[in-house]
Amino acid sequence: MAFRGGRYNHAPVKWRKLRTFLLTVLILLLIPATRFYQIDEPLLRWLRGKHQVDPLALHVSGEFVENNLGTEQNADGSVTVRMIAQQYLFIPHCILVPAGVPVHLRITSADAVHSLAFMSTDYNVKVSPGSISEAELQFPKAGEYKTACREFCGAGHYAMRSEVRVVPRDQFPALRDGERGNCAAQ
Amino acid sequence: MPRSRPNYAFSRARWSAAQLVVLTLLALAVTALFVRAADNPSDHVPSFVEWTPETIAQASSGDPFRGMLLARHCEHCHGTEGFSDKGSTPNLAAMDRLALWKELEDFRAHKRVAFPMNPIAEDLSHKDMVDLAAYYAKLPIFYDPEDKRVFPRPLPGLAQKNMAWRLVTFGDGERGIPPCQACHGPIAYRPGAPSLMTQNSDYLLAQLEAFAHRTRANDINEPMRTIADLLTDEERLALAAYYGSGLGMQPGSSWPSK
Repeated sequence: MAFRGGRYNHAPVKWRKLRTFLLTVLILLLIPATRFYQIDEPLLRWLRGKHQVDPLALHVSGEFVENNLGTEQNADGSVTVRMIAQQYLFIPHCILVPAGVPVHLRITSADAVHSLAFMSTDYNVKVSPGSISEAELQFPKAGEYKTACREFCGAGHYAMRSEVRVVPRDQFPALRDGERGNCAAQ
Repeated sequence: MPRSRPNYAFSRARWSAAQLVVLTLLALAVTALFVRAADNPSDHVPSFVEWTPETIAQASSGDPFRGMLLARHCEHCHGTEGFSDKGSTPNLAAMDRLALWKELEDFRAHKRVAFPMNPIAEDLSHKDMVDLAAYYAKLPIFYDPEDKRVFPRPLPGLAQKNMAWRLVTFGDGERGIPPCQACHGPIAYRPGAPSLMTQNSDYLLAQLEAFAHRTRANDINEPMRTIADLLTDEERLALAAYYGSGLGMQPGSSWPSK
């Protein structure tokens, strides 16, 4: 039996049943329609949060486009490093960071699971396609650090290495807004 | 005058929780229609190709027979059997269809600039590109001595051969150069990476140099620009000579050949 009470519910049961039926039909049509026309993509992206990306479209738009990779200077003195790991390279191949400064690493994979290990340090960041791995690093001494992939990723895995060039803080180039530091600039 | 009957179906009623949820979703969906992720126009996009399963399926669905008819226009430069008689023009025989399609797509979008190909690709429809790729992917790569093709070149010297062999088979771990055969075959391929087994050495050298000098920049996530930049001039020459002489037909053995 339908509920007949309520201060404003003047409608007879017949009409209320019709109303409920129409709304149900609307729901049943709306849910697949939003998915089919991909109307819910921005909503889903918002729900997924900032830690997920499309590994196949990194180069087209978003955080990991070519000109956004590398070292970015933050207002508080720290730096953010954005990288892509893909079979069988870390990109950028050489990153330039200042010594003794917090380094926020943001890295994602374009294909397989990789792991970015910094030699002679304890840092080892696992990288999976579809999600952004974050790590807080700090290099107290200037010098060159080698990195390598520590997760078997395919035929070229053993050659998947890159380097981090740590320079004294005062030698790190002053970056303008939107500019990215790289090894060639040094 | 008869009193009009109130429309009960749309009269003011108490909303149920389910109805509220539905209406909220509807409102969000309508809002989402107008909200688009703002793409930064200053971003450098190397290529509009995304290797999604749908793209791969579409690019692999070409009709080789129709491609054969269309390929009559390509013969003048790329050869009747997909082998060019000019070293600077690429051989297309048995090239991976995804790689062929991607290059045509990049030529069309001016993501890769090479004089005759940009206007040619602009005139091709999507179906033409897919069919051409299907046709060239089917061509055999046996060697015909009667043909005036420049492939294969004479074998390079031993030092050059071993330098290239090392890079093709193992890469260079010290410098972080991955082995060529891990993406360009024959031991493994990745979507969009062309097979280099029967490629002209002049063309290969020109492309490696173009990648190193960034005059060609249509490699997704810049692997080839990075690698070509890490290679020395001698290594680029050696690699071009290695593939250009047909040594890339077999996977690199575990020991350099004499």
